[in-house]
Amino acid sequence: MAASVLAGLAGAAGPAFASRDPLPWRNWSGGQVAYPAGRFAPDSEAALVDWLRAGSGPVRPVGAGHSFTALVPTDGHLLVLDKLSGLLGHDPATLRATFGAGTRLSDMGAPLERVGQASFILPDIDRQTLAGAISTGTHGTGLTLHSLSGYATRLRLVTARGEVIDLSEDADPDRFRAACVSLGALGIITRIEMQNRAPYRLRVRNWAQRIDEVLEDFEASARAHRHFEMFPLTHSDYALVLAIDETDAPVNHPPPSPEEAAAFDAAMRKWLEVPPGERRPLINGMAEQIEPTEAVDVSYRILSNVRNNRFNEMEYAVPREDGARCLREILATIAERKIDVVFPLEYRYVKGDDLWLSMDEGGDRAAISVHRSAAFDYRPLFDAVEPIFWKYGGRPHWGKLHTLGAAELSRLYPRFDDFRALRAELDPEGRLLNDHLRSLFGT
Amino acid sequence: MRRLLVIGLIGLAASCGGCSERAPEVASEAPASRPVTAGTPDAGVMAKWARSCALCHVNGEGGAPRSGVRAEWSPRLAAGEERLLIHTVEGYNNMPPLGYCMDCERDDFLELIRFMAAGS
Repeated sequence: MAASVLAGLAGAAGPAFASRDPLPWRNWSGGQVAYPAGRFAPDSEAALVDWLRAGSGPVRPVGAGHSFTALVPTDGHLLVLDKLSGLLGHDPATLRATFGAGTRLSDMGAPLERVGQASFILPDIDRQTLAGAISTGTHGTGLTLHSLSGYATRLRLVTARGEVIDLSEDADPDRFRAACVSLGALGIITRIEMQNRAPYRLRVRNWAQRIDEVLEDFEASARAHRHFEMFPLTHSDYALVLAIDETDAPVNHPPPSPEEAAAFDAAMRKWLEVPPGERRPLINGMAEQIEPTEAVDVSYRILSNVRNNRFNEMEYAVPREDGARCLREILATIAERKIDVVFPLEYRYVKGDDLWLSMDEGGDRAAISVHRSAAFDYRPLFDAVEPIFWKYGGRPHWGKLHTLGAAELSRLYPRFDDFRALRAELDPEGRLLNDHLRSLFGT
Repeated sequence: MRRLLVIGLIGLAASCGGCSERAPEVASEAPASRPVTAGTPDAGVMAKWARSCALCHVNGEGGAPRSGVRAEWSPRLAAGEERLLIHTVEGYNNMPPLGYCMDCERDDFLELIRFMAAGS
């Protein structure tokens, strides 16, 4: 728990590790650190059940460590589900498939393709585990597409007391809708059945365009394309725009050449040599030189990218109709305060659902993300932006940095108190809580 | 080009962040742990390699040295095995802390480093 206190500070949290030190746990960005008493990686559901029944101390499940918030840090035991992974079964009639909870999203596409299925949606990063992604409401882009949680049709939960519960929309709709986005607070998810579809190819097109123009037509564009999103460039008038649609065209997806990437990188480095308030002509000029490009590939190779460079992120989902105004206010604030950030923002729509703690519960939402390199203090940017999200009724992504607690969250989620009651029923001793979750749930 | 545009932009910020990174101090003493065996790790450790290290150390994602390509490991090994362990635990450049292996213990990391550096 000392660990999570360190979270929120800039860059990598905690002291430097020396090779004789206790082995810490750190998240992907390095902003969260913990010194768990132990790590347990069960190789079967039965082993997990036995372990939970035999123990009594605090436990937190960990996926790939991609959450920026302190969902994982514990001074109890880390529960690693990597061995509970892989395709466990599939149904050709319903196009549903069951995966172990620890399956990485990047390891789902090929096995699904071999059994004639494909995920409807994937997030931009696919290193996360399926259970981690589901538990935090991780999403992709699309006016007609839910978050990943919205495609879960059945899941198995092992409670902190070792009770095994199978949940589905048919069998226990209330608890199922609670469990689909549950932050590892109701129990340990061990397997998930997902609704899929037949394999498909996607054509991705991208280009640079003035932000005002993109926003003016955003609704129509979001309806016209399977996926449509924009990456507004801070301190500029331009955004990178992305449109993705189904296609039967042959695969054509060459990787960017190292020379191209190096030239682009070098050009962008120039931005940082110029004070934020003076960058606009430079970035605008560069954006105007970007030529549209496109690629075609199987769906899972288009929807996700490798994100090697580490960062911290804040993302809120605001009601769709307020998205453009909220985004404009954020961009204006960054410009007026001359906040020194070159990361692009991300702006996209996600279809609404009925999951209790989903950001998209109750209606379509516009998701807006701000990023800061992991090596820099994110607070000047995030502190400036977060109140703007609040003003528009934004709900924070559970895995991305925010400062809300139980009082604010209970006003944002109609079923929040129901979730708290269910959490207390399934884990009365609070074994699955850490300081962060206690703050979220007011426990 | 999507990758070029978007990742290129993100790459700028991260690479500039990298400029401010300081190399961790190298511990002067060897880690207190059981002896690390030479050769191919046991099946349990290899399973950890397949689930985590292989994500980047097969194709060289993000500049990761590829498993079994000695030329890519030699300059890193020259800095010392302890330095590599520290980088693995803390994260280094594009490599996330713990290299995605959440259940690896200290000796697992050392075995995996030796396996990847030695190759087949």
